Amino acid sequence: MGDTVTVNFAFNRKTLRLRTDFTIAGSHCLLSTNSHNVLRHATPWQAPERQDDAPSFEMDILENSSLDALSGNLPHFRGARHLVFAMLEPASFLGFDLLRRRVIGVLSSAAVHDRSFWNAQLLPITIGLLGTTLGVAPLHCACLDRNGEGLLLAGVSGAGKSTLSAALAQRGFALLSDDWTYLSFRQSVLSAHGLAAPIKLLPNTARFFPELAKHAPKKTMNGEIAYEVDAARVFRSAVKTSSRPKWILFLERSATPGCHFVPCRGEFTAQFFETNAERLPDELPAAKSTRSQVIASLAACQSWSLRTGDDPHHTAEAIERFFAEV
Amino acid sequence: MALVDSTNYQDPLDLLRRFIPTPLRTRFRVGDSNVTVETNDFTLLPALPLDTAPADAHPTDIEWKLVRDLDAPGLLEEPLLLSSGNLTVVGMGTACLLGLDHERRELLCFIGPDIDGRTFQEFLVPYFCRLTSQVACAGVPELFPGPSSGGADA
Repeated sequence: MGDTVTVNFAFNRKTLRLRTDFTIAGSHCLLSTNSHNVLRHATPWQAPERQDDAPSFEMDILENSSLDALSGNLPHFRGARHLVFAMLEPASFLGFDLLRRRVIGVLSSAAVHDRSFWNAQLLPITIGLLGTTLGVAPLHCACLDRNGEGLLLAGVSGAGKSTLSAALAQRGFALLSDDWTYLSFRQSVLSAHGLAAPIKLLPNTARFFPELAKHAPKKTMNGEIAYEVDAARVFRSAVKTSSRPKWILFLERSATPGCHFVPCRGEFTAQFFETNAERLPDELPAAKSTRSQVIASLAACQSWSLRTGDDPHHTAEAIERFFAEV
Repeated sequence: MALVDSTNYQDPLDLLRRFIPTPLRTRFRVGDSNVTVETNDFTLLPALPLDTAPADAHPTDIEWKLVRDLDAPGLLEEPLLLSSGNLTVVGMGTACLLGLDHERRELLCFIGPDIDGRTFQEFLVPYFCRLTSQVACAGVPELFPGPSSGGADA
């Protein structure tokens, strides 16, 4: 390594000549870049009006084709105190400063030209990491919406959140998220936000969704082999980016056919989300308290444990009937 | 490697490995700077002059937190250095990721298991020292002149 030369990327007004802003998960992003392609990816998130009180963060992105030659065992994430490092595929390298709400990153041209990199990786990772510093709590649950009322689906990994989300989306629920939902509690209003990310379905779910036959499973960001599909296109379902959470279902798989709804207390809801949340460093005390505040407000939603031994379509039908009677 | 307390580190709620314990702590002199190093691996203690003065004799100028990361195999790659205001981030493949907060005077680094003591002492320690001296001099830009800067080819 003695003769190695450092490749130096300086982020300043001279190198980042293009600027725009957009709103995501109720937060305002000031984007600076050297790439028209990066600007284009931000366009769908541009809102006609900005909420003045929305917290903001800065994102500085350089496109550089020299990274296209790089390869590695990616993705790779590490964090120490308030800093987080991310190496992503296609070759890209980012640093996150959670104290100053700032992202800097250099992306390969392959990444910049891949819209799914923006929608399925860069935006979810950014909000996932910075969210708590912006008053947005990333929680591991799916979210669907009907008539402006949000239904959160929680449960351990493998409980069937994504599969049930797809089945509910086919029954007229609008999809916000099948995996991570971003919740905020501002001015006494609890809101759920989604990022219009693709829905991820494991290969063994293809038997429930013949629409998947036209698609091929591929390696996803966490290394799993799965279908990653656009719910609007594949399931012709509505996709929304925000909702007001009203109900929570905690999914449990059962070997016995049938669906059983058992009411849960608010304490259970709070404890579930607190104990399953990412540990945050002491350098971010406000982020910890904000997340706890969001979870406390979430505990006021009506919630049930749903034990199901039925397939996703029958379970979705049972849910629809159940909420028609609630 | 002589790891302390972090073998088989597994915490499903700490996917970023923020909380790997780094119980070893000592102080060194780097030029005119006092550097406090904390780590989880004896072999990541730099071969630098120890600061033997009492801890309260002079304040730490900068802190290095060096984490031996057993789950980041591979050798060092060409460094990519991103610098912006108070923040410098360097990636040398997954085997070495570091961030330098100029304002807080913290150098935070993950070092993979395949980086041996010699590479650490002969390449990484001088690299960290150069970064540290830049912070001590309060200079940020152009830390390491390189073949490219910015993203002019986009």
